[in-house]
Amino acid sequence: MSLAAESPVHSSSSSDDFAAFLDAELDVASSDTSPDEDQDDEENDDDEEDFQEPSAKRQKVEDLEPTKELEGSNVNTSSEPMDEDICPPHPGFIKGMCMRCGQIEEDESGVAFGYIHKDLRLNSKEIDRLRGVDLKNLLEAKKLILILDLDHTVLNSARLVEISAEEEYLRHQALSMQADADRSIFELPGMHLLTKLRPFVRTFLEEATKMFEIYIYTMADRAYALEIAKILDPDKVYFDNRIISNADCTKRHQKGLDVVLGAESLVLIMDDTEIVWQRHKENLILMERYHFFASSRRQFGFSTKSLSETKKDESESDGILSIVLNVLKRAHQMFFDAFLEKKLSAKDITELSSRDVRKVLKLIRQEILQGCKIVFSRVFPSSARAEDQPIWKLAQQLGAICSTEVDASVTHVVSTDKTTEKARWALQNGKFLVNVHWIEAANFLWSRQREEDFQITSSPKNPPD
Amino acid sequence: MFFHIQLERNMQLHPRHFGPHLRDKLVAKLMKDVEGTCSGRHGFVVAITGVDDIGKGLIREGTGFVTFPVKYQCVVFRPFKGEILEAVVTMVNKMGFFAEAGPVQIFVSNHLIPDDMEFQSGDVPNYTTSDGSVKIQKECEVRLKIIGTRVDATEIFCIGTIKDDFLGVTSDPGAAA
Ligand SMILES: [Mg+2]
Ligand SMILES: [Zn+2]
Repeated sequence: MSLAAESPVHSSSSSDDFAAFLDAELDVASSDTSPDEDQDDEENDDDEEDFQEPSAKRQKVEDLEPTKELEGSNVNTSSEPMDEDICPPHPGFIKGMCMRCGQIEEDESGVAFGYIHKDLRLNSKEIDRLRGVDLKNLLEAKKLILILDLDHTVLNSARLVEISAEEEYLRHQALSMQADADRSIFELPGMHLLTKLRPFVRTFLEEATKMFEIYIYTMADRAYALEIAKILDPDKVYFDNRIISNADCTKRHQKGLDVVLGAESLVLIMDDTEIVWQRHKENLILMERYHFFASSRRQFGFSTKSLSETKKDESESDGILSIVLNVLKRAHQMFFDAFLEKKLSAKDITELSSRDVRKVLKLIRQEILQGCKIVFSRVFPSSARAEDQPIWKLAQQLGAICSTEVDASVTHVVSTDKTTEKARWALQNGKFLVNVHWIEAANFLWSRQREEDFQITSSPKNPPD
Repeated sequence: MFFHIQLERNMQLHPRHFGPHLRDKLVAKLMKDVEGTCSGRHGFVVAITGVDDIGKGLIREGTGFVTFPVKYQCVVFRPFKGEILEAVVTMVNKMGFFAEAGPVQIFVSNHLIPDDMEFQSGDVPNYTTSDGSVKIQKECEVRLKIIGTRVDATEIFCIGTIKDDFLGVTSDPGAAA
């Protein structure tokens, strides 16, 4: 079987060596023939298998670089060894290539920033440098950094298979309201999930973005995070590429600010899960969990009807997100203070650089139970060291004074039982007697709560409603 | 850089295509298989411009497929270190910016952006000179120099610089609009 008759005149040249061709074409002053010429005669004509050009050829190609530049870099390395702009050390790599000198290095050092580019790694000095630049830029824009968790913080998702009959109406809503830009219920395409946004979240983002550069930071996977980002930020004005997901975490089951290219002193975090922020508790605004779906409540051990089943929801105007937005506004106001109204000079920036939003948050928190003196009764075992108890520490962070002994200056007795000696003392002496949720609620709602709403009932485990 | 070169490939064809249009079938398959692909040595195959020779077919035992050695002319695109390219900016962030020249992805880090250009975040992140006269943002065209290339099976990735004479923005959609 031959097709030669149909073919044009047979070309005598066999498969040209491309690099040799290039050398000739570009008139490189080099007379030696490539030593690996023989190897290049492809035994197998499948080009795709030949990804890496032999090193001798690459060498030649590199020689094409203008000599001026080569001389330039030689001068630099010899006379200015301390110059910060000279490689090595390489500041970071993208696809294994130094982002400053283009050199290929196969070592996998540095921190991966997969959410910015899937093959980006930065060394620690470069991260510091970028944080420094970012700090200056943000302060100039009078902005801080806000890290936003997704699940239970700004939304609640449930798997479709877990949607109960009573919740079925929500799927219809998600479908029928598809054209409505303001809807809050979504079925995520291809993910078999139903997602409910927390009330007020759209206003929250609109307001927060004026004061903060916002990052999404979730332990869920990237595909989910991106899908949610599309819902929260359809016009792509809030998050840009600042969407961090589980693949980006450098420690298992921990969220860290190490993958955030911003200064920790500017960061506030909103998350419903405290333990993942082990290293950054001072930045954290702990969020009361948003449970909308029945499956979500069950996962966290609640047996009562969910918001979805009772067709209720958190308040739009004074729900948690609205409350936290006010905290953010105050923190931002207190941080920038008098600088908010003026055009910032270089000196102002330096001054602001030394400020720390963690201290501001601490101050705001301490106002919540200011003036309260609390004694605990049967809240933790009497054998335990009171100062080590989380609830004790929490009350102190909220500005209360904690004591183990009752005296006239005590304002509140926090107890699990109305019949303890201290509880009876409180009632006899006209002091407030409340359950522990009074402190937790103050923590989540950022204000002292009405004591009447936190009476001790026969079943002390009931959450306040 | 573009090159017009001759390449060779073994094409496998199912016997059902044998007939008066065998050559057309082979050429069509060649275009489908090769155009748009990338190889480390040659770069991207942009277009096939002619078929020089189709050799004798060899029947593969057991399958009935026939392998034809085909020599063809094509235009390839392959960036080189030191080469100047025009590219379109696709993404800007505090690390630098990404740009595309046809199928080639290029990253220009902020180390290789002139020092007088600073990053501005916001709705449309950009790098701008202090006087605001030059702005790099998504969609604008830049002239850059390649300082490193890396070739994978399916893509060529480059590191570029605009920190040199006559490099930088060549068109700014923001200003034109
Ligand atoms: Mg969460
Ligand atoms: Zn380098």
